[in-house]
Amino acid sequence: MTTTSTDKAVQPPAGRSILPAPKYPRVFGVGRGRLVQYGIFILLALFVLAPIVPILYQSFRDRPLYEAGGLLTAGNYVKLFTDAGFGQVVLNTAIFAVGTTVLTLVIAIPMAVLVVRTRLPFGRLLGLSMQWPFFISSLILGFGWITLYGPAGFISVQLRQVFGFVPWNLYSLGGMAVTEAVGLAPIAYVFCANALRQSDASLESAARVCGAGPVRILFQVVVPMLRPPIVYSSILIFSMSLETLSVPLLYGTPVRIEVFSTFLYTNGLQSISPDYGILGAASTLILAVTIGTVAIQAKVLKNAQRFISVRGKATRPRLLDLGWIRWVAAAAIVIYIIFGALLPILGLVFRSFTMIFTPLQNPFDTLTLSNYQRVFTFPVYVQSITNSVVVAAVGAVLVSVLALLAVLVARRSPFKFARSVEYLALAPQAMPGIIVGIGFFWAFALTPGGGWVQGTLMAVIIAFGLRALPTAFGSIAPAIMQIGRELDDAARTSGADWFGTFFRILRTLLRPAFVGALILVFVTMMKEYSAALFLSSANTGVIGTTMLDLWVQGNTGSVAALATIQIAITAVFVAVANLFMKGHTDA
Amino acid sequence: MPEVQVSGLHKKFGDVTVLNDINFTIREGEFFTLLGPSGCGKSTTLNCIAGLESPTAGSITVDGVPFVDTAKKLYVPTEERNLGMVFQSYALWPHMTVEANLVMPLAIRKVSKEEKAVRIHEALDTVGLAHLKDRYPHQLSGGQQQRVALARALVYSPSVLLLDEPLSNLDAKLREQSRAWLKRLQVELGITTVYVTHDQDEALSLSDRIAVMFEGNMTQIGAPAEIYERPATAAVAAFVGSCNFFTGRLEETRGGIARVRLDNTGLVVKVASTLALSPGDAVTVAVRPERLTITPASADVTGANVLDTSVLTRSYVGSRYEYGLKLGTNVVQVISPTGNLDGDVRLVFDADDALLYAGSNVPSAEAQELMTVAS
Ligand SMILES: Nc1ncnc2c1ncn2[C@@H]1O[C@H](COP(=O)(O)OP(=O)(O)OP(=O)(O)O)[C@@H](O)[C@H]1O
Ligand SMILES: [Mg+2]
Repeated sequence: MTTTSTDKAVQPPAGRSILPAPKYPRVFGVGRGRLVQYGIFILLALFVLAPIVPILYQSFRDRPLYEAGGLLTAGNYVKLFTDAGFGQVVLNTAIFAVGTTVLTLVIAIPMAVLVVRTRLPFGRLLGLSMQWPFFISSLILGFGWITLYGPAGFISVQLRQVFGFVPWNLYSLGGMAVTEAVGLAPIAYVFCANALRQSDASLESAARVCGAGPVRILFQVVVPMLRPPIVYSSILIFSMSLETLSVPLLYGTPVRIEVFSTFLYTNGLQSISPDYGILGAASTLILAVTIGTVAIQAKVLKNAQRFISVRGKATRPRLLDLGWIRWVAAAAIVIYIIFGALLPILGLVFRSFTMIFTPLQNPFDTLTLSNYQRVFTFPVYVQSITNSVVVAAVGAVLVSVLALLAVLVARRSPFKFARSVEYLALAPQAMPGIIVGIGFFWAFALTPGGGWVQGTLMAVIIAFGLRALPTAFGSIAPAIMQIGRELDDAARTSGADWFGTFFRILRTLLRPAFVGALILVFVTMMKEYSAALFLSSANTGVIGTTMLDLWVQGNTGSVAALATIQIAITAVFVAVANLFMKGHTDA
Repeated sequence: MPEVQVSGLHKKFGDVTVLNDINFTIREGEFFTLLGPSGCGKSTTLNCIAGLESPTAGSITVDGVPFVDTAKKLYVPTEERNLGMVFQSYALWPHMTVEANLVMPLAIRKVSKEEKAVRIHEALDTVGLAHLKDRYPHQLSGGQQQRVALARALVYSPSVLLLDEPLSNLDAKLREQSRAWLKRLQVELGITTVYVTHDQDEALSLSDRIAVMFEGNMTQIGAPAEIYERPATAAVAAFVGSCNFFTGRLEETRGGIARVRLDNTGLVVKVASTLALSPGDAVTVAVRPERLTITPASADVTGANVLDTSVLTRSYVGSRYEYGLKLGTNVVQVISPTGNLDGDVRLVFDADDALLYAGSNVPSAEAQELMTVAS
């Protein structure tokens, strides 16, 4: 714009010149936004492909990667499919994953709607407690459930004494699915609750004005708004249950029910001479499933635009009144919390302070600290605790930042590989921890300089980080979809470039989602262990791997002690983070 | 103040052509409106000027500076175009106060603290909201939000102001007041303004010139009176203001007067026309309701066209009457100051009062159906 102004023109205030448009620097003719976008794309591609490529390669190789002179072959796949037990493994996995997903949604969706959008007795408290089973690893939850509901569990034994039988069998696919769903429901809950909290109350008001009652509003206006978080969380949970190791390992091993992950575990880690070819081939099959789920997700969310409900025009949410139903609802949530998580965990904590834990003998007679003593006398065990904290803390920051940038590129940029960025960020969803562990192990072994990372905590952080990336992405993406695009457009016309739009506008609007992702990633990485089974050296173990060691040794008391320690660390972290969040998001 | 030149603009989303060869030039300080039905591509055109969309082909120049030229692979990003834009949803940043919303564009331009304060005060003063600068957007009414959005778009003295249906979220009364206010403001500032609306009243009352769009095509560009009085096509006539349409066949054209035999009654009407048509061609006659006169059947009248009809309906619409008259199978809409006519009447209009279009496609089949009665 030139400064020659006609007398009709906007006169700059006296003594001030007309403001020129901002100029942004270019590198090789591209703005900094584009550079960031390419950077993220390349980084993600490396990150995701690093463990996959060696595995794919291995799956077609007739001998381990590190042995020279191998031939390419499809023999591994043939062997996998002709392996008599594998069909059963696939079937078990499918039943378990579908069951878990359905149960999870059945628990999570009604609870999110009830807690966030209706007047519930003790609603806030219930909402907070609803989330906390998530903070416990499914390994610990599994220990807890076995302690209470297992064949020799406290409650099972009690019931057998009273009724003469136990009405359930924990060591079954059903038992696994229920336990897993209780553990995973908070993920779906958090996604749905966030979306509901941000959605536009005027839509509801509109329905109310049309004469719709509260129940009708719930089903016709509120529930459809939940589609993006439901799709996200169900796909996430489906793939998480495809690859979860803990519960199937704990419940399935004694009764020989195998699913994908335990199949990999027994064939890759427990056998004396692991068949790497089979490992690669089985892992490759899971990857095929991932691509399938992500494709479905993309299709379902294609019309995501329809679900934008927070626009520039501001409104305030309002709560619905359900009458007597709210008491039933509150009771259901209480039962879920108490029997699903609270009792098993309390049982486990209590177990950590006793020698023997059974209703047949008063446990208070055998109170002891020896379980903790055993943990703390071995430096390796102590180290695994500090390792877990370091990995989770460093990882949370790195992964959340990466996920935030990936979401921005995937959802809010004209970048031509935006969709690929999204696929890359979500792909690790169905990469089982063990496979990620194996993949990075091979990748570090094969890359020059990889030896520096091999066996260090950095290796563990990288592997756990990759596994946590979809969680972080999935928790930020719905939040950005709830922010109308016109807010970006307004920033762009005001003179902010892509990067500036993020720093000046979206950063603040996304802060709750980002902090949410930080917490989520910390907790996820705190709970993670399966990737470390392969990657950890003697002194880079984490709490989870140590617990598994102790469990195999039959030291259930010390397992309970370590579990208690992990829960305590997580609880303290989450409490502090929540305090921090309260102080900073009430703008 | 700059001139905006748009030429040869094409935009495709996938296989769908949304803009098809759009050309126009906006003069300095002009209030220029893009008018058309929903989905015709108005916002897309505006977004191409703003740089929020990049056209498939074409060029856009503002004040001699090329913003987009697909032939030269030139594209200036939105943030470097220095345009002010107001969005339909206002797009105020919800986490910032009114003042902070206005500070943002100035901070980006590294304006000194004193100048920021002065500019923000001036901009808020212009929209009459200086006293609300510490409020958050959700603490403002829709009308106030809209004015803050305008202040934010003006605070950095942009070269051109782009407005995408800024009044459509307001209630009718407020919309009318805001319209007058906006017009005064624009004249006062003299800023080149591109305004998008599907509301013809808004377009007519605000604009220096209007561009009417249909399905991605620019059909007519002209001053409001020109658009209203001499619509280029039957579609424009139907979209801008209301209009009666009769299909018929051309009998002959002599001395700039066409004689048309109407399909509905078989009667012949005379219409001024400069179209090059030959006898027998299908044509459409269009007459605005207020250009028709009704007289009692008994009265002596002179006029180019006098048709015998009867009154079907009559309604008082405030200061004047709206009649529905039966003409063959058509209902003819007439606006008249007299409210005592009933039964058989005569419909009178001059050759100059009607417009003639080639072809017999009436613009909206649906609307036309509503205007049909059994004979
Ligand atoms: N991102 C997109 N992808 C595909 N089609 C689009 C996209 N954006 C707009 N369109 C299509 O382009 C056409 C013109 O859209 P545009 O928003 O310019 O309409 P408009 O004239 O502003 O309508 P309205 O008055 O309803 O705002 C519409 O048919 C719309 O469906
Ligand atoms: Mg539009």
